[in-house]
Amino acid sequence: MATRHSKAARLFQKNREKAEWQDNTLWGVRVKRDRMAKSLDEWETLRDMASAIKKHTVTNLDVYLEQFAENAEKNGIIVHWAKDAEEFNETVLDILRSHDVRKLVKSKSMLTEECEMNPYLEKNGIKVVETDLGERIIQLLDQKPSHIVMPAIHLTQEEVGALFEKELGSEKGNSDPAYLTYCARKSLRDEFLTADAGLTGANFGVAQTGEIVICTNEGNADMSTSVPKLHIAAMGIEKVIPDYRSLAVFHRLLARSATGQPSTTFTSHFRGPRPGGEMHIILVDNGRSRMLGDDLHWETLKCIRCGACMNTCPVYRRSGGYSYTYFIPGPVGVNLGMLRDGKKYHDNVSACSLCCSCDNVCPAKVNLSEQIYAWRQQLRDFGKEPMSKKVMSGGMKFIFDRPGLYNAAIGCSPLINAAASAAGYAGLGLWGKGRDLPEFAKESFHTMWKKGKVKNDK
Amino acid sequence: MTSKQNILSEIRKHGRQPIEMPSFETLSPVRYEDCLEQFVVTARQVGGRVALLEEGTDINALIRSFYPEASVIASSLPFVEAALDPDTVADARELNGTDVGVVKGEVAVAENGCVWVPQTMKERAVLFISECLVIIVDRKDIVNNMHEAYSRIDNPGYGCFISGPSKTADIAQALVMGAQAARDVLYVIV
Amino acid sequence: MKVGLFVPCYVDALYPEVGVASYKLLTALGVDVDYPLEQTCCGQPESNGGFEDMAVSQAEHFEDVFKGFDYVVGPSASCAAFVKLNYPRLLHGKHECETAGKVMDMVEFLHDVLKVESLPGRFPHVVSVHNSCHGVRELGLSSPSERNIPVYSKIKNLLNLVEGITVREPERPDECCGFGGLFSVDEKEVSVKMGEDKLRRHMETGAEYITGPDSSCLMHMQGIAKNGKHPVKFKHVVEILAAGL
Repeated sequence: MATRHSKAARLFQKNREKAEWQDNTLWGVRVKRDRMAKSLDEWETLRDMASAIKKHTVTNLDVYLEQFAENAEKNGIIVHWAKDAEEFNETVLDILRSHDVRKLVKSKSMLTEECEMNPYLEKNGIKVVETDLGERIIQLLDQKPSHIVMPAIHLTQEEVGALFEKELGSEKGNSDPAYLTYCARKSLRDEFLTADAGLTGANFGVAQTGEIVICTNEGNADMSTSVPKLHIAAMGIEKVIPDYRSLAVFHRLLARSATGQPSTTFTSHFRGPRPGGEMHIILVDNGRSRMLGDDLHWETLKCIRCGACMNTCPVYRRSGGYSYTYFIPGPVGVNLGMLRDGKKYHDNVSACSLCCSCDNVCPAKVNLSEQIYAWRQQLRDFGKEPMSKKVMSGGMKFIFDRPGLYNAAIGCSPLINAAASAAGYAGLGLWGKGRDLPEFAKESFHTMWKKGKVKNDK
Repeated sequence: MTSKQNILSEIRKHGRQPIEMPSFETLSPVRYEDCLEQFVVTARQVGGRVALLEEGTDINALIRSFYPEASVIASSLPFVEAALDPDTVADARELNGTDVGVVKGEVAVAENGCVWVPQTMKERAVLFISECLVIIVDRKDIVNNMHEAYSRIDNPGYGCFISGPSKTADIAQALVMGAQAARDVLYVIV
Repeated sequence: MKVGLFVPCYVDALYPEVGVASYKLLTALGVDVDYPLEQTCCGQPESNGGFEDMAVSQAEHFEDVFKGFDYVVGPSASCAAFVKLNYPRLLHGKHECETAGKVMDMVEFLHDVLKVESLPGRFPHVVSVHNSCHGVRELGLSSPSERNIPVYSKIKNLLNLVEGITVREPERPDECCGFGGLFSVDEKEVSVKMGEDKLRRHMETGAEYITGPDSSCLMHMQGIAKNGKHPVKFKHVVEILAAGL
């Protein structure tokens, strides 16, 4: 019954100190987010609007994408369309090759992770340098992000210190975050100045104006695109929004939800190539149009990748990003993984106690926990229904369907624990260490009622 | 079929019943009694520094007083004494080594300390490559919130809302100013 | 007004005293209560585990047993929420679901329908309120900490009617205790850790009792408390509201 998520979570919990640190740190981000949410009277209206605007946009996606592309082209941007990861990677490589690019600096993009662009480009002789500090750290370690907004949240400052000592020649034993950030700044400055091209993701694509908007705190997307002359932007097709009015709504929600800041430090609007430069946007489908057709799960496309669902998730905070088998972890990652390939990523649906906290922090009101519940019902469609759980649930059903049997089981419970195993709360030795079993009452309520013992004497 | 046609036809195939765009009428965004006062508070919260330029004070003297050690100042503003001009440098890389970049912002936002800086110079690298950035804002251009800001701005090709200095918390969630871009931002309100 | 008392399966077997307290409290408040003997389980345990289809016959049975009542009231927020939110879908295409609109958790019923303003009992103890997830986020027994809405708590409003009581709330007042039905088995380590953390925060309030509208959460934390030999006690909120009856 143990899923790959639960096994990995067990390992994560073995390092108690680190696990506690992660829980407390991410909870701290949630608290900052709450403070922001509560500082605006219109917060809940903003969430309603964000949800409605996204629903409007994705149900009119063809219209907005065509408008976006047309306006971007009018602005002098070269627009490409990629139906899948393979075509996306090839398009990037073609553009880079036609410009003799040997080194590419890039800012954070979950889409390039999804398409596994970096290994593809490296294999084809392009040096790729991640410039978001967290992404740079995990690139040097040859790891993957463990959080979509805080990709290196699983590492301690000592681990980063040791890495920089080896890779960047920082002082031995110095793990002061300010010092280490300074070392990375110096090293990345050289990369920006010597790169041949910059690649970014896109937080939003504005149809009415034909521009993309990128939000960062470090300014790395801007550094990546203001020194090299060539800018390539990777944009999932669901990132398009109608206009500036809509953008204002999302802008106000994004950073407040993500990190508890009133805005990211930089909100950069790219409406055309730099003087003397060239700008490309690659619109990527890679399964999104198919997801749109999923009646139960299409609303996942409303997600704006703020990461708030991860910070609030009591399971994510206590199991870490690497316990999930899909590259995006946490509640939205469970859902995106299932939408991507349920056969491959079904292990993550166990990672939810159905507490519904994610639904309440989500700035776009994606019904994350409801969808995880729905995915659990659909596991059999992927041939992945857990047998032992089915037997247990089947046992429950068998008993619960038969009031006589149910009452007999409850009546005998002090002896055989039947009701408890039926209810799935015990039995089969699965309750585990760290918890004692509940004690059964000498008489069930049902028996007491039948014997006339339930009464009000007053 | 091109990929564009392919994607659009897939969207139409899986398409859903179109849902209406919501009305913005239900939204009454935050407003402040004194936008300037609120902007100063927020700008400081996001790590920026704020100076009010008194009538008759020279802006160059003010910048000098904040950055007495600065040796290279870059600006394309005619009234700023600068060693480098982002309009005339041959390449963005020449701006590397700038101690203080000085630019003009068009709209400032009280709710979040953002200032809209459109690319009016040839090399926008000055906004990011400078160790410190001075953004000059007219007090008449301070608005309450992003809705007002977006209704006022126009993007000439590139523009950025800047809210304080470059920052990161990617190492152990410890907040550090000066990740890749300016480590210090001074808003000069005129 | 005729009320059907819904005593969820695990309350029946493990915590019959909660059922008794519910009966006593409702009758003391002048409500006409009956306990239909044919009731079993609402179907939530299998459903949360991914076997909702197995719960359809239970939903139909529940519907048969309870549809004749004006209200169906039970001392379990999670079970009431399950019926309310899922039965219309489970019974879709079969027949109209009546119980979803009639089912209520005890706290909800006392607070919103009976609008209880005084209680006879005394409970001179410090209690820490456990805001269970489905009580908060599905039934709205208190305001979810994530939302920017006016802060309220129907649970605390009711508890404060009891003489002598001191009501507290833990830090992270509505973080999940980690029970989650089959989740507690599937994700044992995370579930136990969530429970330990929750228990510690409750105990840090100085409470003698941890109380809440869901015996399942209390059971989970009680299992952990016993394992760690912590002396803190557990009581369902209805037991406290029925103190002295």
